[in-house]
Amino acid sequence: QCFIFSITVNANLTSLPEKHLVLLRDGRTLIGYLRSIDQFANLVLHQTVERIHVGKKYGDIPRGIFVVRGENVVLLGEIDLEKESDTPLQQVSIEEILEEQRVEQQAKQESEKLKVQALKERGLSIPRADTLDEY
Amino acid sequence: MELLGHHEENLAERLSKLVIENELEDPAIMQAVQTQPPMQQSGGLNSSIWDGSAVLRRFRGPLLTQEMPSVSVLEYAMLQKPPQGQEDERDLSERALPRRSSSPIIGSPPVRAVPIGTPPKQATMPNFIQQILCPKPVHIRAPMQQRYPSPYGERMSPNQLCNVSAGRMSPSQFARVSGLVGSPLTSMNPKLLQGRVGQMMAPASGFRAFFGAPPPPAPPSSQQQHPPCPGSHLQNLRPHPQMFRPDTTHLHPQHRRLLHQRQQQNRNQHRSLNGSAGDRAGHRSSHQEQLRKDPYANLMLQREKDWVSKIQMMQLQSTDPYLDDFYYQNYFQKLEKVSAAEEMHGDGPKKERTKLITPQVAKLEHAYKPVQFEGSLGKLTVSSVNNPRKMIDAVVTSRSEDDETKEKQVRDKRRQTLVTIEKTYSLLLDVEDYERRYLLSLEGERPALMEERKQKICDMYDNLRGKTPGQERPSDDHFVQIMCIRKGKRMVARILPFLSTEQAADILMATARNLPFLIKKDAQDEVLLCLLRPFSLVLYHLPLGTVTSLLQQLANLPQSATVPAPANLHLTAVLQNKFGLSLLYLVLSRGEELQNSSAAMELMQDNQWTELMSMATRELLRIPEAALAKPVSTPSNLLSLFSRYVDQQKLNVLETKLQ
Repeated sequence: QCFIFSITVNANLTSLPEKHLVLLRDGRTLIGYLRSIDQFANLVLHQTVERIHVGKKYGDIPRGIFVVRGENVVLLGEIDLEKESDTPLQQVSIEEILEEQRVEQQAKQESEKLKVQALKERGLSIPRADTLDEY
Repeated sequence: MELLGHHEENLAERLSKLVIENELEDPAIMQAVQTQPPMQQSGGLNSSIWDGSAVLRRFRGPLLTQEMPSVSVLEYAMLQKPPQGQEDERDLSERALPRRSSSPIIGSPPVRAVPIGTPPKQATMPNFIQQILCPKPVHIRAPMQQRYPSPYGERMSPNQLCNVSAGRMSPSQFARVSGLVGSPLTSMNPKLLQGRVGQMMAPASGFRAFFGAPPPPAPPSSQQQHPPCPGSHLQNLRPHPQMFRPDTTHLHPQHRRLLHQRQQQNRNQHRSLNGSAGDRAGHRSSHQEQLRKDPYANLMLQREKDWVSKIQMMQLQSTDPYLDDFYYQNYFQKLEKVSAAEEMHGDGPKKERTKLITPQVAKLEHAYKPVQFEGSLGKLTVSSVNNPRKMIDAVVTSRSEDDETKEKQVRDKRRQTLVTIEKTYSLLLDVEDYERRYLLSLEGERPALMEERKQKICDMYDNLRGKTPGQERPSDDHFVQIMCIRKGKRMVARILPFLSTEQAADILMATARNLPFLIKKDAQDEVLLCLLRPFSLVLYHLPLGTVTSLLQQLANLPQSATVPAPANLHLTAVLQNKFGLSLLYLVLSRGEELQNSSAAMELMQDNQWTELMSMATRELLRIPEAALAKPVSTPSNLLSLFSRYVDQQKLNVLETKLQ
């Protein structure tokens, strides 16, 4: 719904800048100060930080200024600065979180491979969405 | 000649002055400036050229913004000077564009040098707005600007004054109007003027209008400051703390409250910082402090934000919300029903279920008439967005049956079924919608609606069973095909409530008859279970005779009972499937109910029923427990039913199996 924008847009007026969290279509999470927005949801984020979550840990990579094309935005929300520190998640260094992410990806791929293998042995296959020609 | 030369010189002078004065920041234009002036002086320029085309240029120009470096400076300069210079007296109608039909742009959407989505830089110039080729009132007009804004904090610029007098909308004014109703641009004007007149006198920029009543003397002093931060001048005009910004009418009510709360908090913070309550100077300084910490705050002007909000609200405009926003509408209806139900039960405080008020637009009929020239033969063949033309004459040729291979036939048949399902589904959606339409319609229209609905239901049934209106439904084939497809099954489940008892019973029979086949086909989907509920509802309306034949179908016995085979494959398959078994139980249970309730029983039916029952029980006994499926629910009267037909020992066995 578009009224989400009007919320943030009008909130821009208050003197204290509010941090926003943006989720992109490729799964990235960006956190920064929203400076500008337009009707396509193109965003200008200032002092942006890309936050990677793995399990209960997260790591921030500072990225500077981001200009995001609107079609890639999934959702955009305001971060309550008071509640921001009140999180069960633990912040770790960038290297650590990247390592964790790599490990997680690997594990996922392996389990997927095993699953497909097991099904193949039983003579079954999970049909891929694009090969189904009926609803 | 002399006259001409003199004229030229003046022109050049004016141009150079203009260019310098204009404080153009666009580097492209600045570059152009350096190269252009010499060109003007060379070559005997006929002043009449300028006079003639000036009309054309003058209204081409405003459509361009500063971002168009391709605009030659001369054109640009022409724009600046003439309107304020000599041509003020000229009649506005002379500036009017030629009629759309004879313009070079035929049949296409209005030309925009700037894409519609460009935010405004400044308030728009009203004269040029009126000349836009824009026949449709709901078009979003490209905001126009004439030159770069004068430094902030100035008096209300002539642009804005003009705006008000012309009664035109500019983004800054728009937001002040609560809600968009009808054609937003025309209906707002009286309101605008009323609202604005009060503000006009105050020597402040248009932004102050947002904050409601004109503030006392403080603003003039504030405007003298020119803080370095972009857009921070707004902060100097910090509103009355109590003032509720009227432009927040577009916000969701819940959010408006949140924002208000936050403003309160901020205010409290400020008060505690400064120690003096309501001290405007105190406010300003604290704001400036905060702004120094964050110089990029409010990079977007309020006007720009409201402009974006305006677009978003316009996007929400809908002529038929039930069509465009079906799930949203239904969701909120459900919520309301729930809250209403809650209210009925308890007498707690009425929970506010505030909705975002979206603008409603009346349906506008746009009849596009293609351009026609008088005296010409035929029509122009120009194709555009509004008027798409057929370019290729594609003729559908049906292939002969012999050429097709078996595979193709099968594929085509399947596709036919899919098409049938889609058509029937559309009918179904319409039928489901009739209730709502009924409530909204007038008394006179209602019988017609009912007729339509009935007709659609008949059509649906025909689609399901195959079109051939023979005496008897020749084959179940059509129906079975539909039932093989997941969507088809779900659709049948949804259609059943609308069918008459006979029709529904017919469907049930067909299902039962072909159950093993359907079960086999359903192995992957497992959607048959969705049919249980509607089936059971239908069952409760069926008389015993029908139930008996239904059971017969399930057991797959021909009309005349032959020697029962040692193993009934049909029934076995049924028993081994969750859906089949559940259905069987339901049928049995219903039969039992009917038997118990009705006093007089026809002997024949009794025999039939008994036979079927014994067959069923035999099968149930025979089948190993492991192979027996787990039914959705086991009706309670089954045991009593079985007890009538079998002895105690077998009854115990059955009991364990039923568990």
